[in-house]
Amino acid sequence: MKERIQEAVRRSPAGYTELRLRRVWSTAVLVRDRRIETATRGSDIGGLVRCCSPGTGWGGASFSGTERLDTEARRAHELSLASRSRVPVLLAPIAVRQFDAPSPLPDDPRDFPLTEARQRAESLAEALFATDRRIGSARILLRDEVVETWLATSEGSWIHALRPEVSIAILAVAEEDGNVERALGSFAARGGWRSASAVEQLVGSISTRVVERLHAAPVRPGRYTVVLDPAAAGTLVHRAVTHVARPALPGVDPDVLPMGTRVGPEILTVGDDPTAEGLRASAVCDDEGTVARRTTIIQNGVVVGHLQSRETAAATAQAPTGHARAGSLRGAPHPRASNSYLAQGEGSLDDLLQGTGTGVYISDLLACEAAGDQVTLRAGSARMIRSGRLAEPVKGVQIGASLLSLLGRVDAVAADFEWDTASSRCEDGGAGVVTVTNGAPHLRIVDVGIGEGMP
Amino acid sequence: MIGSILDSLAGRVTGADVVVKTDDTLSLAISPDGESRVMSSQFRTSHLRLLRDGRIGFASSTGADVAELIGHAMMSAASGEALPLLFPAAAPLPEVSTRTPQAAAADTSSLEYLARALGDRLLRSNRRVEVWAERSLGAIQVANSRAVWAGYDVTLAGVGAVVESIGAGWAPPLRVHCAAAALPTLLEVEALVAEVDQRLDPPIVALPGGFPREVPVCLAPRALGTFLGPLKAALTGRAALLGDSPLRGQLQQKVFNAAITLIDDPLASGRPGSRPIDDDGVPSRRLGLITAGYVTARLADLQVGASAGVPSTGHAWRFPGSSPRVGFTNLRMAPGAGSRSELLAGMGWGLWVADLEWGTGPNGISGAVTLKAPWAYLVQDGVVLGRLEGVVLSGNVFEALRGEVVVGNDAIWVSAQCLPSVVLRLTAYCNA
Repeated sequence: MKERIQEAVRRSPAGYTELRLRRVWSTAVLVRDRRIETATRGSDIGGLVRCCSPGTGWGGASFSGTERLDTEARRAHELSLASRSRVPVLLAPIAVRQFDAPSPLPDDPRDFPLTEARQRAESLAEALFATDRRIGSARILLRDEVVETWLATSEGSWIHALRPEVSIAILAVAEEDGNVERALGSFAARGGWRSASAVEQLVGSISTRVVERLHAAPVRPGRYTVVLDPAAAGTLVHRAVTHVARPALPGVDPDVLPMGTRVGPEILTVGDDPTAEGLRASAVCDDEGTVARRTTIIQNGVVVGHLQSRETAAATAQAPTGHARAGSLRGAPHPRASNSYLAQGEGSLDDLLQGTGTGVYISDLLACEAAGDQVTLRAGSARMIRSGRLAEPVKGVQIGASLLSLLGRVDAVAADFEWDTASSRCEDGGAGVVTVTNGAPHLRIVDVGIGEGMP
Repeated sequence: MIGSILDSLAGRVTGADVVVKTDDTLSLAISPDGESRVMSSQFRTSHLRLLRDGRIGFASSTGADVAELIGHAMMSAASGEALPLLFPAAAPLPEVSTRTPQAAAADTSSLEYLARALGDRLLRSNRRVEVWAERSLGAIQVANSRAVWAGYDVTLAGVGAVVESIGAGWAPPLRVHCAAAALPTLLEVEALVAEVDQRLDPPIVALPGGFPREVPVCLAPRALGTFLGPLKAALTGRAALLGDSPLRGQLQQKVFNAAITLIDDPLASGRPGSRPIDDDGVPSRRLGLITAGYVTARLADLQVGASAGVPSTGHAWRFPGSSPRVGFTNLRMAPGAGSRSELLAGMGWGLWVADLEWGTGPNGISGAVTLKAPWAYLVQDGVVLGRLEGVVLSGNVFEALRGEVVVGNDAIWVSAQCLPSVVLRLTAYCNA
C-alpha cells in the first residue's frame, strides 16, 4: 500500500499533493430492552487527494476503494486548475516527518467475536434492569472501531497510523406514577475490549441518576453559585473554548476568542493536547502531517493561542499546531479540538462546596451548545448545594449566558483534574464528526442565572 | 455485483436483499476572499441484508470484495435479531422524476456561474458572503431473492450561501440554500437573495418589558422544518410503533388542530427524497400521516413493520456505514388559506421567526423544546418592526400544534420539505 500511495503522489503534476487513505473496521451491537436489534461488523475504505499549485485554489477528489489512486490524484489537480481561484492557497511550512505505526495491536477489537459482544450487551441490559424495578426500558450500544490511516504528501511526509477504540453507551428509561425520565451515559477508551473491564460501574451510575430524577423537584429559577463536576467542566471548556478557538472561518463561526482578550480570571488556563498519552483523540501527527503539539488557548484568563491547520496558520502568520483533523473518511482536514483541558487549580471539591452557601452542583451535562458568544448548558443530573454540602436532587437545570460572562464568573478551580471517559464526539457542520476527550477538575462559577428561560 | 451476491447466497439463506448506491458529486465553494475550491467525490456503497435460521444479518461496505460483504452479513445473522421477515415480491413501480439531464451534465463552469450569480447579488459593503454550488449524480439498484430488481438514477443540484453581517449588532451566520433534481434557476437564486435581504435589512430593536407568558409566533418554512423535528421523530419507525413516541397508540385519534395535514410524498417530481422504490424493494406511495389533525399513519420499513406486525409503508433507507433506517422522503404540509402578510396581520403583536437553531429540549420524548431564534422579528399589526436579539422559544411541539394554529398558503420547498408559514402560540424569552 505504501508504494502505491507514494507513487500516486509522486506522479501528480500538482505543486502540492496530499493523499490520505483511511480504512475503518467497525462493529456495532444494539440491544433494546432485553432483545438484540442489531449486530453488525463491516469495513469501509476511502480517502481524499487534495492538490494545489502556485496561483490555484484547492482541487480535491474523494473516493472509495483503492483501485484508482493515480486517477484521483490527476482529477484533483485538474479541479484545482479549474477552480479559477482569485486567491491562491498558502500553506505554512512544516517539518517533513515519516512515521509508521507499530503492528499488530496488542488488544485488537477485531479479534473480539461478535457473539461475545452480543452477550456482553445483553448481560449489561440484564444488570441494568436488575438494579431497580422502575427501569422499564433500556438501550445498550456496544461499538468498536479500528482506523488505519495512510498519509503521503509531495513534500515527503509519510504517516501510517492505527487507532483502535471501544465504546459502550447506555440509555435507561424509568417510570413511576406516570412520570417518565431518562438517563444516558457512556464509556469509551482507546484500545480493545480489555480497556473496558470496569464498565459495570457505569450501569450503577446511570440507574442511580434515572431513579433520582423520578423524584427530583424542578429547580427554582434564580441566580446561584454553580459547581461543575470534572466531566461537565471539561464539556464546557471544549464547547465554549477549544471548539471555537481557531481563526475566524467564513461561515463557520465568528471570531469569538480574539487573541489577547481577557476572558476570565487568573485561575483560568485552557488548552488542547493531542499528545496526551493513550486518549482516543491523541495522535503523533494530524491529518496534514504536522506533528501534534499541546497548545495553550487561555493562559491565566487571557487568550494566547488558537488551534491551527497549515492553511489557517499561513493566513494568520502563526505556526501550525497539529490540529487539522478530517471529520469523515473522505473529508478535508480543518482545525479541530482533540483533548481539551482545563488546567487544575487548588483544593478539593469539599473546598469548593464549603465556600458555597446555596448553589447547584451539576454532575452530568445533557447538552452544551454554543452559538457565537452564547453558551447554553442543560444538566442531566444536578443537586442543590445547601450550607456547603450536596443536598437533594433537582431537575430542569439550564444555564444560558454569554461566554465572556460565564468564564468571567469562574471563581475557583480545584486540583482534582481527570480526563473524562465518556464517548464524546464533536460535530461541526460540514467539517464532520471527530472523537474528542475532555479533561478538567471541579469548577465553580458564581452568580449564574438558572431557569427555564435562561436569563 | 448484485447478481453475483444473490447467486452465491442461493440455498444458503432464507432470503436476502441487496442495495448498491453510487454517487458522483462535484462541488465548488468560493470564500469571501475570493478563494475557490472544487471538490469531487465518487463512491459506491453496497448493503446486504439476509435472513438465515430465522435471524437477520446485515452488512455494508464501500469496497468491492463480495466475499467479505457476505461473510460479514452471515456473521451478523448468527447474532442478529430473530424476526419473521418477508421480502417483497416484484411489483409495478410508480412513475416519478428523479433526474434531469442538465444537472447530470453540470460541470465546474456551470457551478461557478450559479455560485457567482448568487454571490454577486448578495454582496453588500457590510456583508461577508461565502457561496457554494453542487451537483450530484447517483444510481440506486435494489434487488432481492424474490425477483425484485429495480434501478433508477438521481440528480441533485443546489446552490447556497453563508452570509455574515458586519457591524450593527451581532448576527449568527445566515445560511440559505435550495436543492432539487434540476439545476437551480435564476428565479430561485433571486428568491434566496430576497430571503437574505428580508432577514438582514430590518434594524435591531429592543423589547422593553419582555414578553408576556405566551405569544403568537409565525414560523416561516425554514423555522417550521426545525420545529417539526420531534413530531417527525414521533411518526417514525420503531419509536412510533413500538417505542416511547407520544403518538404510539394514537392511530385514527384526533391529536392536532384540524388545520394540520402532513403527507410524506416520495412521488413529488424532482425533489431530494423522490424515488419510485424504497431501499427494501417496496414501491413508493404517498402517505397521509396527519389528516385534518388525525394521526393516519406512521412510517415503517420491512424490519420495523415485522416487529410491530404492520406492513411496510415504503420508507426504508440505506446510508453508508449504518444499519437500515426508517425515514421520511419528502414531507409536505397542506397549505391553508391566508398569505404570510395576512398571517402576520392577524397575529396583532407577536413574532415572525425566519429560522431556528435546533437544540435538544428538556424532555425530547414528550416534545418539550427550547429553541434559540436568532432570526426572530417583532411584528405589530402586520408590520415587521425589527429583529430581536437573544430570543428563545420554549414549549411543547405536540401541544402547540394541538392548540390555536393558522396555516398559510405560502408553502415553499426547503430541501425535502414543502412547508408553509404557520402561526401558533409559544413561550418566548428575550435574553438580550
